[in-house]
Amino acid sequence: MNLSAPNRDIVLRALLLVLVYLVLAWWVPNFRTPSGLAALLDAAVLTGLVAIGVGLTMIAGEMDLSVGSMAAIAGVLAIQFISAGVPLLPALLAVVLTAAIVGAIQGLLIHLLNINSLIFTIGTLIGFRGLALMLAHESTQTLPIDKLSIADSVSGHFGVLSPLSVTLVLAFLAVGFFASRTVWGREIYAIGGGRTEARSAGVSLRRPLVIAFSCSAGMAALGGALLSIRSGGATPLGYNSVLLDAVAACLIGGIALRGGRGGLAGIFVGLLTLRVVVSGVASLGAPFWAQTLASGLLLILVITGESISRTIMRRRHWHRTATAQG
Amino acid sequence: MLRMAQVSKHYGSSVALDAVDFSVERGEVMALLGENGAGKSTLVKVLAGLEQPDSGTIEIEDRAVDLRSRSQARAAGIAYVAQELSILDHMSVAENVFLGDTSFGWLRRPSMLAKKAAPFLDLVGLGSIDPLKSAGSLSIAERQLVEIARLLSRSARIAILDEPTAALSDAETARVENVVMTLAAKGCSVIYVTHRLGEVFRLSQRVTILRNGRNFPAFPTRNIDVDGLIERMLGRRLDQMFPPRRAGEGDVVMSLRGCSTPGVRLPVSLEVRRGEILGFAGQLGSGAGAMIQAIAGARPLTAGTMTLEGCSYAPRSVRKAIRSGVAYCSDDRKRDGIFLGRPILENLSAPALERVTRFGLIDPRRERNLANGVAERFEIDRRRFGSAARTLSGGNQQKVALGKWIGTDPKVLLVEEPTRGVDVGARAEIYRHLRTLADQGLAVIFASSDTQEVHGLADRVATFYHGRLVRLGNTDAISLEDVTRDVTDADQGAAA
Amino acid sequence: MESARPPGDRVRVIRYAAALVTLAATLIVAGFTTPAFVTYDNFLAIVRAASITGIVAVGMSFVTISGNFFALSAGQMAAFLGILFAVATVAGLGVPAAILLTIATAILAGILQGMVINVIGNPIITTIAFGAVFGGLAAFMSGNTLIRVHDDAALAALRFGTARPLGIPTQSWAFFALALLSWFAIRTTRVGRLITLSGASPAAAAASGLPVGLSSVIAMVIFSCGPAIVAIFSVAQFSLAKADQFSGLDIDAIASVLVGGVALRGGQGSPVQAALGALLIAVLQNFMLLRGLTAGERMTIVGLVVVIAVAGFHLAQGRRR
Repeated sequence: MNLSAPNRDIVLRALLLVLVYLVLAWWVPNFRTPSGLAALLDAAVLTGLVAIGVGLTMIAGEMDLSVGSMAAIAGVLAIQFISAGVPLLPALLAVVLTAAIVGAIQGLLIHLLNINSLIFTIGTLIGFRGLALMLAHESTQTLPIDKLSIADSVSGHFGVLSPLSVTLVLAFLAVGFFASRTVWGREIYAIGGGRTEARSAGVSLRRPLVIAFSCSAGMAALGGALLSIRSGGATPLGYNSVLLDAVAACLIGGIALRGGRGGLAGIFVGLLTLRVVVSGVASLGAPFWAQTLASGLLLILVITGESISRTIMRRRHWHRTATAQG
Repeated sequence: MLRMAQVSKHYGSSVALDAVDFSVERGEVMALLGENGAGKSTLVKVLAGLEQPDSGTIEIEDRAVDLRSRSQARAAGIAYVAQELSILDHMSVAENVFLGDTSFGWLRRPSMLAKKAAPFLDLVGLGSIDPLKSAGSLSIAERQLVEIARLLSRSARIAILDEPTAALSDAETARVENVVMTLAAKGCSVIYVTHRLGEVFRLSQRVTILRNGRNFPAFPTRNIDVDGLIERMLGRRLDQMFPPRRAGEGDVVMSLRGCSTPGVRLPVSLEVRRGEILGFAGQLGSGAGAMIQAIAGARPLTAGTMTLEGCSYAPRSVRKAIRSGVAYCSDDRKRDGIFLGRPILENLSAPALERVTRFGLIDPRRERNLANGVAERFEIDRRRFGSAARTLSGGNQQKVALGKWIGTDPKVLLVEEPTRGVDVGARAEIYRHLRTLADQGLAVIFASSDTQEVHGLADRVATFYHGRLVRLGNTDAISLEDVTRDVTDADQGAAA
Repeated sequence: MESARPPGDRVRVIRYAAALVTLAATLIVAGFTTPAFVTYDNFLAIVRAASITGIVAVGMSFVTISGNFFALSAGQMAAFLGILFAVATVAGLGVPAAILLTIATAILAGILQGMVINVIGNPIITTIAFGAVFGGLAAFMSGNTLIRVHDDAALAALRFGTARPLGIPTQSWAFFALALLSWFAIRTTRVGRLITLSGASPAAAAASGLPVGLSSVIAMVIFSCGPAIVAIFSVAQFSLAKADQFSGLDIDAIASVLVGGVALRGGQGSPVQAALGALLIAVLQNFMLLRGLTAGERMTIVGLVVVIAVAGFHLAQGRRR
């Protein structure tokens, strides 16, 4: 089978997913039932939505560290809107749009300052968390009893899917299409793959940065809002670990740290791989810490394995690209 | 079509362009020649919108234009292929062809891109490559051709090609020449910057030569021959620029037998003596720099053996080479040569850190003594020791990059492009310092694309062209014209 | 021609001075507007609050100066090492031996992370992953419960944690001592110079024959001692350890490093700047607390300060990336 490199890469990762699933499905009977699979997918929704956005910023060669805080703000706002009587969809829309605008401003500032997004978003990570606290008046926000039906409406299941997991899949498809088939999506890849080369060729820098950060904020907000609505409450200090999980899903799925590589399909595969391992470990009765341990180890294994194989490939490539210069 | 009048540009106190007049007619191929530092790249960057001239006017089709940015230049119909390639490894070839082009809709289906790219790829001879393949698998030559395909896809009025054939084989060069002629036939004006005189005679209708920021009036190519070109390019420099040469009488300190490395096609054998300055003359891609890098341990040796003071010398890394007493200054001073943000004092002591530490602590007195020693020999202002290296002029930065090796007591000093980015005044100083180093027992090997520099400074010369050693001998026995001819392919294709 | 006042030098001065000047300014403003601020007890509270973050920030600054951005495993390492120390003490190892064990483990953790950073090339992801592992280990070793030290002999030995020589807590003394020691280390030792040069330009450092990979490992080892010391003091002060104890430590330490003016790019700055940053944030938090700001308002303002500081330094150096 003669596959191109990116396709080969995705196939390998999908194989890893299948392997991991088979191993855990053998131990965990629940994984073989539709309801078990549904639970698996649902557990992946928050991480998955955030991973879509963070992944886009990573493809652009940056990273948005403020996604957890943004999800918390979104959760708080969503609960407050719905408690105030706003219907479900308009509330979601309002929250996601607001987040997208804030994210766009972040991206614009990062572009204008020409600053590394790492240090910029550390500041916004702290600041947004503070905003979440302020908006929530330092307390947990819960849905009043008469609005709990809305929470139920998001929690239904039909077969393996639920409103949440359908949203997840749709989001992956939409952003995936955008990233691989539109000019603006390809620009994000361009500035990530080689910032100076892209600039020399005339690729706009402002547009892809604004879009990537807008998307990461919007997706984080969507995830935070949906999950808060479903659970009927939002704590301003919540969604702490979602950044790590999302980045892990991206890396396991083949997003390169230096940018320009990987795709949304890979993120989806990485997401599922991560969730299968974590949920599997949890279902086996292992305590919560074992899940974090397992995901940390999985991450280390995957990226070490990758970089070793990359070093081997680079040695072979050295002669080709170094030839004529000099 | 294009008319530049009295364009000047200076960087700090050094003048890059001095009231240059430059014009190109529609459908004409204009060759732009000149030594390194003559102002070619500045002129081209001004046209491409990357630099702003300090004074002068630019007119395209008799209308004044403002080329204040890349996009403005592009809008004016100027397309530019730079020496540094801007190919993205992880995008497909087709995408690279259309990089930066947002004019044909928002949807990007791979099959559609491949079809759109095919004719342009065909024109540059890459028709057999799958346009959807990732560009990372292409060789440097193929990438260069993709850049030219990108230029073709932009349907420019004025095309600027900066040394497009430096990395190309003869067959690929022929392809590019065809492309250039086709472009011109379609009415595009082509500005062709090159060192290869053969191409000048094959392609251009007129030639403009720049020297020290000033231009000679453009003249028709058919009115001149190779010698005339060389004479105008070189001019006559101050005799005091180069210190007198010495005959190499010291022991052989390093020898190479049948050595080749990526970038050098035919094995190279030579010797260097103590107290001698050996110069490698060659343009980009000739193998001169590659050979230096191989000796330095920065490039693997694919064949042959080297000895240093009689013992086998096979460094597998630059670090091991340094330990053996071989110091190496690459041509990218800003990246490898100095720590821009650190004080000059730290720059000077960096390679010899072990010698200035005692019990794990840096002895400030020893460090200062070491630095003073270097500063004295290389005429670096001691009062600036505390300033960041970034604040120095190019010439002084180069002195730091070269001088810091003294602290390690090297046996051989390897340098690529010793005076790149250094103004004329500081060049003479650097030549003097290299001479002093050699006189004190070092062997100095340097590679340079500036033939006058090699001929003026080196005791012995090795000329490189296209990956092979052309000539090796005492500089006294070789004329400057010979050297220049060797490195510019002058013999093949002079249509005189 | 070189300019009379080189701009590059001016930026270095700005970075050093900014934290100091802002600290002084905040102190003055706070002093004039809030009488409760200018008491001895309040200053002690500030220094106490700054010490925990400050110790970690000082170690973290080595990582930043070495060009490895940040180590995001500080909080979980501290939790893990705290539990290790408590467990070892409870098991009867004796406090001095337990301290040695904890520090040795920290050094090992630093070496491991440094080596993986060299292989992978991205310190942020490496330390995030290791953080998850340490967090898991912490929970594992503690069985997710509190580890309490009951033994009288051990409690007596742990008295150093609550001691107050000259009225200042020992942890704060440790903070000052470490800040000074680190400043000395980065300026005068060969290792410190190696770390600075490797961060300034890894390519130039390698070209000069310096071991760049080793400098990352050493920086991580130095960094790892921070969480170890903080963990030991915490157990000594409270006689207990738990797995989720230091959850905000990473972000606080990073904010201190950034606000203090240490450049993300590496190759410049000193641990003293990180210490000043920690003090500045502690002063700010204290001032805001005295003025009655809520937790949310305080956090938002700290975030704003970080963004402004980072942007300001970046602009001062000419927006170079």
